[in-house]
Amino acid sequence: MSIWATCSSLVAGAALLLGSAPPLRAQLSLEEALQAAFPPPAEVERRTAFLSSAALDSARADAGSDAPVDQSVVSYYVATRGGAPVGVAYFDSHRVRTLNEVLMIVVGPDDKVRRIEVLRFAEPPEYHPRDGWLAQFEGHTLAPDLSLKGSIRAMTGATLTSNAVTRSVRRVLALHRRIHPFAPAASTGP
Amino acid sequence: MFRMVAKARWGGLAASLLMAAPAAAQETTDTAEIRRLQEQVEAITRELEELRLGREVVVQADTSISGLGPAASKVYKTPQGVSIGGYGEFLYENFAGSREDDAPSGLTDRIDAVRAIIYVGYKFSDKVLFNSETEFEHGSTEDGGSVSVEFAYLDYRIRPEFGLRGGLVLAPMGFLNEIHEPPTFLGTVRPETERLIIPSTWREVGVGMFGERKSFAYRAYLINGFDATGFSADEGLREGRQDGAEAAAQNFGGVGRVDYIGIPGVTLGTSAYFGNSGQGASLPSAPETTVGAQTFIWDGHAEYKARGFELRGLLALSTLDDAAEVNELNGLTGAESVGERMLGWYLQGGYDVLRGRSGPQQLLPYVRYEQINTQDEVPDGFTADPANNRRIVTAGAAWRPMPNISLKADYQIVSNEAETGVNQLNVNLGYLF
Repeated sequence: MSIWATCSSLVAGAALLLGSAPPLRAQLSLEEALQAAFPPPAEVERRTAFLSSAALDSARADAGSDAPVDQSVVSYYVATRGGAPVGVAYFDSHRVRTLNEVLMIVVGPDDKVRRIEVLRFAEPPEYHPRDGWLAQFEGHTLAPDLSLKGSIRAMTGATLTSNAVTRSVRRVLALHRRIHPFAPAASTGP
Repeated sequence: MFRMVAKARWGGLAASLLMAAPAAAQETTDTAEIRRLQEQVEAITRELEELRLGREVVVQADTSISGLGPAASKVYKTPQGVSIGGYGEFLYENFAGSREDDAPSGLTDRIDAVRAIIYVGYKFSDKVLFNSETEFEHGSTEDGGSVSVEFAYLDYRIRPEFGLRGGLVLAPMGFLNEIHEPPTFLGTVRPETERLIIPSTWREVGVGMFGERKSFAYRAYLINGFDATGFSADEGLREGRQDGAEAAAQNFGGVGRVDYIGIPGVTLGTSAYFGNSGQGASLPSAPETTVGAQTFIWDGHAEYKARGFELRGLLALSTLDDAAEVNELNGLTGAESVGERMLGWYLQGGYDVLRGRSGPQQLLPYVRYEQINTQDEVPDGFTADPANNRRIVTAGAAWRPMPNISLKADYQIVSNEAETGVNQLNVNLGYLF
C-alpha cells in the first residue's frame, strides 16, 4: 500500500467522524455535576455529617477491607423536588494508579446507585472509565455482589480504574448507610 | 431553577462545640452565637472538602445558580503534570531433561528478571498529552539485557471519537501487544501466536488516529514496515520488527483494529496489518529486482471476563508474498524457509475459585490450548520443518493477592510434528502500578 493511499484513507475516515461527532466533554466542577444530576426545578442542600467512632467502624466493616473508609466528616448534597427527596450526591477522591480521580456518586431514596460522574481523572485517558462501563453500577446497593468478584465487570485494559471505582462506590454506600441523608437535618443550619 | 443551599448536620460535634463554650450556649442561649459557630463549622467543612477533592473541583459550591451560571460556564483547566506507572515480571523456567522423542533436551533451567517497565506521561492540556514506556529487560545490559523505549507518542484528542497520535506506537493487534502487564492475563509466558505471528511487543514509528464511538473503539496507524531480512522459519515475523531504532523506511504499512466494547467484560474485535517488508533490498541473484515482500497479518479475538470467569480466544494468520525471494535474501534453503503463510490460535479459560469469598484475593486455575505453525505454507522448492508445527497445552494457576500483583505457575506440554518438544514448568511473579 502506498503512503498516499493510506493517508487518504485516514483523512477520509477522520472527515467522516468529525462530521457528526460532539466535542470532547470538559471535566466537571462539583456544581456542574450536581446540576447534571439534579436539573431544575430540583433544590440541592449541602449537608455535613460527623460520624462517631462506632459509626465509622460500622462503615468500614460494610465497605470491606479493600475499600478503606477514613473520613469521619462527610459532606453530601441532598436534592429535593417539591419537598420530596430525589437523591443524594457524594464526592469521593481516591488514587487510581499514582494520581487521583474524583467521582460523584448519586444514590436514590431507595439506597440504590443512580448515577456516577467523573469530575477529575489525571491518569492517561485510555484508563478513563467509560460511560457504558459506569452504567453497570446503576441499581446496585451495598451488597457482596458489588465487587469485581461479583457482578461488576472490569473494564478491559484498565484494571486499576475498575478497582478504584468499585472501591469508591462501596465506600460511599457504606457511608450512606450510616448517614441517613434523607432524614431531616438535626438542627437548623444557616 | 437549580438552587443550592447549605446546612450542617450537627450531631455530636455541635454538642461538643456547645459544651466547649458552655457559658455562651447555656447562659444566654444566644442564637447569634450558635449561628456563628455553625458558620465556622461550615467554613471548616468546606475547606476540608476542598482539600479532599481539589480546589478546581470545588468552585464556589455555595453559590446559587440558575441554569448555566457563571461557575458552570467557567473553563476548568485539568491539573497538568506528570503521570507515572510501571510493571514488571520475574520468570523461572524449569525444562524437562528429555524431549518428546526421549532425546536429551540439553536445556538449562533459568531464572530471569524479564522486565522492569516505567511509564511516564505528561498532560500538556485536556487534549494534548505525551505517554511513554521505557523497558529494562533481563536485569542488566552487561549480561545480555537491554533498555528500550517501548512506546513514546503524542496524542491530540480532538473528540472522543477522534484523536491523532504520532510517535513510537504499539501496533494495535491482538490482546497482548498493547496490554501485557502480567497481572492482567493468564499464563506465565505469552502465547506463541502473540509472540511470533503478532510479534509482541511490536512497536514502530508512525502516525494515526484513535477513538471510541458508541460501543466501538478503533485505532488505525501508518507505521514503518517490517524488515524482511529478520524473518525466519521458527521465529516467524518476530525479528522483522524494527523497534523505531533507525528503522529502514522504504516501505510503510497500515495497521488498525476495531473492538466492540458495548458490554462490560466482553471484547470482540479484529485487527489487520498490510504493508511491504522488503525495505528496498535487492535480490543477490538479480540486483535490478527489488524485493517487495508484501506482508499481511489478520487476527480475530474475543474475551469474556466476568463473574469469576476469564475466557479468551484468538486466531491469527499472516501471509508473505515473495517468500522465495526473502529466502534468497536471507540465505535460507530447504526447511529453513520463511513461512509463506503462518497460522496460530489459542483458547484459554480460568475461573476464580475464591470468588465467593470477600476481599480482593483471586485464585484462578487455568488452562490454555494453542496451535501454531510458522510454516503453514512454504514456497515451491522449499520444505517445512515439522518442528515448527507446534501444539502447547498449558495448565496452571494464578494467585492475585490484590489486583496489582500476580504469582502464576504453570506446566506446559510442548509437542511438535518432529517430536522435539520440551515440556517446562514456569513460575512468574508480576506486578503493576
